[in-house]
Amino acid sequence: MARNELILTDVTKRFGGLTAVDALSLKVESGQIYGIIGPNGAGKTTVFNCITGIYKSEEGSVNWRGEEIRGMTPYQIVDRGIVRTFQTIRLFSQMSVAENIMSGRHIKSRQSWWHGIIHTPGSRRDELENWKKVEEQLDFFRLGEYAASPTGSLPYGIQRRVEMARAMAVDPTLLILDEPAAGLNDKETLVLLETIFKIRDKGVTVLLIEHDMDMVMEVTDYLTVINFGKQIAEGTPEQIQKDSAVIEAYLGSEDDDDE
Amino acid sequence: MEKLKRFSLPGFILVMAVLPHLLDSSWQEVAITFLVFSVVALSQDIILGKSGMFHMGQGLFFGMGAYATAILNNEFGWPILATIPVAILVPALIGILLAGPIVHLRGDYLLVVTIGFNIVFVQVLQNNLGGVTGGPNGIFGLDSLSLLGVELMSQLSVYYFAFAVLLLTFWVMRNLEGSKAGRALHYLREDQLAAESIGINTRVYKIFAFGLGAGLAGLAGTVFAVQYSAVSPEAFDFIQSVLFFSIVIVGGSSIPGVLLGVFVMFVVPEIFREFATWRYFIFGLAMIAAMILRPRGIVPATFGKIPKFLIKGGGHGA
Repeated sequence: MARNELILTDVTKRFGGLTAVDALSLKVESGQIYGIIGPNGAGKTTVFNCITGIYKSEEGSVNWRGEEIRGMTPYQIVDRGIVRTFQTIRLFSQMSVAENIMSGRHIKSRQSWWHGIIHTPGSRRDELENWKKVEEQLDFFRLGEYAASPTGSLPYGIQRRVEMARAMAVDPTLLILDEPAAGLNDKETLVLLETIFKIRDKGVTVLLIEHDMDMVMEVTDYLTVINFGKQIAEGTPEQIQKDSAVIEAYLGSEDDDDE
Repeated sequence: MEKLKRFSLPGFILVMAVLPHLLDSSWQEVAITFLVFSVVALSQDIILGKSGMFHMGQGLFFGMGAYATAILNNEFGWPILATIPVAILVPALIGILLAGPIVHLRGDYLLVVTIGFNIVFVQVLQNNLGGVTGGPNGIFGLDSLSLLGVELMSQLSVYYFAFAVLLLTFWVMRNLEGSKAGRALHYLREDQLAAESIGINTRVYKIFAFGLGAGLAGLAGTVFAVQYSAVSPEAFDFIQSVLFFSIVIVGGSSIPGVLLGVFVMFVVPEIFREFATWRYFIFGLAMIAAMILRPRGIVPATFGKIPKFLIKGGGHGA
């Protein structure tokens, strides 16, 4: 068996009569930057929700390093090293950037619930260690100058970086990015590309959804294309660009997308 | 402004430490109730303000603590101080048990359920459950405080007992703010889905908030029972819970906010007692004005209290 990290087998998710994800299978290997692309409404975000435990797929299996994670709760899945960001940024908007990143340390912190009432030397040390980890993320994402600013007041591009920093603070094994380039300008997208490569170089596997085709082709090692919840192609970016089914899905009649 | 903030809490503590010597006995009574209500309102703040759960039954936990002290003292002859652990633990455990099945409810649904719990509790007291709650009249004639065999009969000693409980509550609130558990409450209030997706078991921390809030309210209940040497059901009914709820909403989710809330909602009506029922008219208008002008409370929660070494370049602090 290869070093497959995440294996989806025949994952199916239905909402009433609508099959949002239809018998999808894919394999994400350790150290890859893996992309999922597809037209609007193809079910990409639903796939992410099924992996991260926000939805439970009706059928199929989600296997993470030999363990079945389908049906686990989101925090149990985070505990296994899978962390995500959201397409529509979901930060704790009244809280500062540093506090937002600190939320990523929650699961790594050794404090018990009763340390919320009485501190001990151990809990103070743990608190300080985790703030140091936050500092590392602030430096890595060049967010230091915003550390004390409330995230709700920051420009969109910076909020995206904060959300990634928060996810990276967990020390994930698999980072799932839902349209990380949405709403970014060209310059910010370039910085994002560099950041994703740097994250991969740290040994983190990256799984991403993206609309920006130029970016996807540049950044990913392997791609899956889905439409109407079904996989229509998979392969390296070069293979995908030549695939006729993909070209049809993207350039085919607009009517298809509306259905 | 920053300086004002830094010195306001020590200033408040200093004023409260000398205050009873400047007041006559009826105002001392008001001051003691102010201290007790502050503790209950802060405990309500843990559930409502910090965790964002619409809980309108804090009178239940407050009353449970008061009754635990009263019953143990009256029926079983325990000294008042010995009843404190029970008066904290019983409401805390009941709070955890009651919260378990209901914390997943959203805002208004949770509100209705907690009001229901409060009404059931008062009914149980009035119907003299097990023959120990004294029915509609409650329990009276409790012993006074005694420490190391010395009877502390005076109102002044009750005041300082209440003051010590408030200081303990401040300390717990401060510890909560600087801990993983306290931050988890803020995270789940701001965005529950994001909190779960970053690894927070929101259910556990919501129940924790209920347990801690209930325990502190129970402790305040002991002081309340000592103050009047008596307990009766109407002191813990639904209207009281509404008062604690409004205090946190009007004051805002912070220690100065809650204290100001208690002052505005409880002490100010006492000051204007001579205006008879007119004071409630003014009081209602003040509430409306406060909500329009400061929708997040008089002193809202502040964030960005992060270690100094993280703040670089400065000037960006909010």
